[in-house]
Amino acid sequence: MSSQEDGAAEPGPDTVGPSSSSSSTDNDATTGDIISVTIGATVPTGFEHTAAEEVKEKIGVDARISKDRGRIYFPITTDKLFQVHLLRSVDNLFVVVEEYDNYQFKESKEETLMELQELASKLPWTNALEVWKLNRTFKKKKGYRKGGNGTKGKPKSEAAGATVADTEQQELPQATSTVENQTEESVPEAESDTQDSVEAAPRAILIKFRVTCNRAGDKHSFSSNEAARDFGGAVQEFFQWKADMTKFDIEVLLNIHNVEVVIGIALTEESLHRRNISHFGPTTLRSTLCYGMLRLCKPQPSDIILDPMCGTGAIPLEGAIEFNSSFYIAGDNYDMAVNRTVNNICHIQKRRADKGSISGLPIDTVRWDLCSLPMRTSSVDIIITDMPFGKRMGSRKKNWDLYPSCLREMARVCRPGSGKAVLLTQDKKCFSKAISRMGGLWRKLHTVWVNVGGLHAGVYLLKRTEAVNLLMVISLQNSNPGTGYCYCSD
Amino acid sequence: MKLLTHNMLTSHVKGVTKGYPLLIKATEVKMNEVEFNPQFVSRMIPKLEWSALVQAADELGQRQDLPGELVPDYEKNEDFLKKVHRLLLEVEVIEGCLQCPESGREFPISRGIPNMLLSEDEA
Repeated sequence: MSSQEDGAAEPGPDTVGPSSSSSSTDNDATTGDIISVTIGATVPTGFEHTAAEEVKEKIGVDARISKDRGRIYFPITTDKLFQVHLLRSVDNLFVVVEEYDNYQFKESKEETLMELQELASKLPWTNALEVWKLNRTFKKKKGYRKGGNGTKGKPKSEAAGATVADTEQQELPQATSTVENQTEESVPEAESDTQDSVEAAPRAILIKFRVTCNRAGDKHSFSSNEAARDFGGAVQEFFQWKADMTKFDIEVLLNIHNVEVVIGIALTEESLHRRNISHFGPTTLRSTLCYGMLRLCKPQPSDIILDPMCGTGAIPLEGAIEFNSSFYIAGDNYDMAVNRTVNNICHIQKRRADKGSISGLPIDTVRWDLCSLPMRTSSVDIIITDMPFGKRMGSRKKNWDLYPSCLREMARVCRPGSGKAVLLTQDKKCFSKAISRMGGLWRKLHTVWVNVGGLHAGVYLLKRTEAVNLLMVISLQNSNPGTGYCYCSD
Repeated sequence: MKLLTHNMLTSHVKGVTKGYPLLIKATEVKMNEVEFNPQFVSRMIPKLEWSALVQAADELGQRQDLPGELVPDYEKNEDFLKKVHRLLLEVEVIEGCLQCPESGREFPISRGIPNMLLSEDEA
């Protein structure tokens, strides 16, 4: 994995051609050669396996899960590049230039940084740059990223006219358990370089770039800042590109996680994770996390899926789009939340109509109190929701009352025996206690530990047991007179 | 509000035992095209209260020739499934209200969203 190509790329992007393709795949007879590369994807931590499943299902290849949490890698041929952009569980994509799974750093900082600089000219850039070029043809020109500070960019509204109701919660950078993990910027602009260029071949376009370095581990002698600076400087020298922190064409990624070093080129300009939402609320969940939660409960055709605390509707909306043979009912007690949900649904429907597709989605919105759901007993197949954490919304004290009441009500409406719930919460103690005191109505099947806005949270997959309490039996008799009660067992 | 949702909704006013189905009084109804999936419809039918769907369709003047009872082998009858699909997913009540059949309490529907919140003394 650490083999290097000699004299890979020539300086200047317009001289990088397909002729130096080094892969073992057959070359196409047509103009564009098909080359084989490794794609890296960042995914919500905890959902790496779910993402790998989706890759297997949609691209047909096996993905490798990195020790650096929140990343998966998989091989593709360039004819499949477009499909990679259709993956719903990935936040960001990049093409790998080179990976080292056991990089031996030098003792001193000076030597290490020197070595990084030397690396720049030795890396096999060619294929990765080809993929970057190809990738550009897929993307609409969205303009440049503003205010680069390395963390995930602020999500943009898709349609020019869409209003953003509230300021959304910015995703905090993920913390690791080791000492440092900074995301840093690139080399500052060097004014003089571009003037006295000694390039023989005339440059048709001036390529602008930046380097983003993510470093984690406690044995490094250098900071991510320093690595980005020195590596970036060497890249600039080698390619004669111009460094620009905000208006860049190419983003080079330098990811260092202990002894794992990956150099890549970004394929996504802004994170894909807020794709469905144009109307944000204070705690809107990213769509990739919603997708991961939905995959966990494996929605079946005709499943009735409830989100009783839907907020801006991120989860049911992702479901209505991606798992569209089920039906989603989104509910909340807060009027701004239900309005935003409806706005988000309308926005997506309009987007679909504009593309000429059938626009209607299998989703509805209701305003209700989740502790007293106006729903028939045992009428719902799956309950999926993001429960108040008690930090940004609600309070810990409130959770002690809220959790048991809502879990009980959710158990009432959920079909005994076949029903499931997927619940995200950070208040793990309160949640576990509430479940255990519930007379066996719910059974924990699986828990995924995730990171939501810097908070350590759990996604609990629960099974609704066969247990039915007396109140439920009475309400069933009242609401289904004469028809008896039947289980939908498939 | 779609009729599929209506089929699941019930009145939860305190003391009410016969709160289903809610009566629909619509002042604005829209049609919204949704992709037809026969498997979805045929699997959904057993989960429905059929008589409540028929009643709702009647109240909206959308019943057309929907049978009062389910016919056998409906799973293979695509015409029938398409009619049910249309009623469940494509008819939307935008403005109006839902009424509890026992207490008479009205729950307003606005922008397609039924407001089922109860006041403190009703809960």
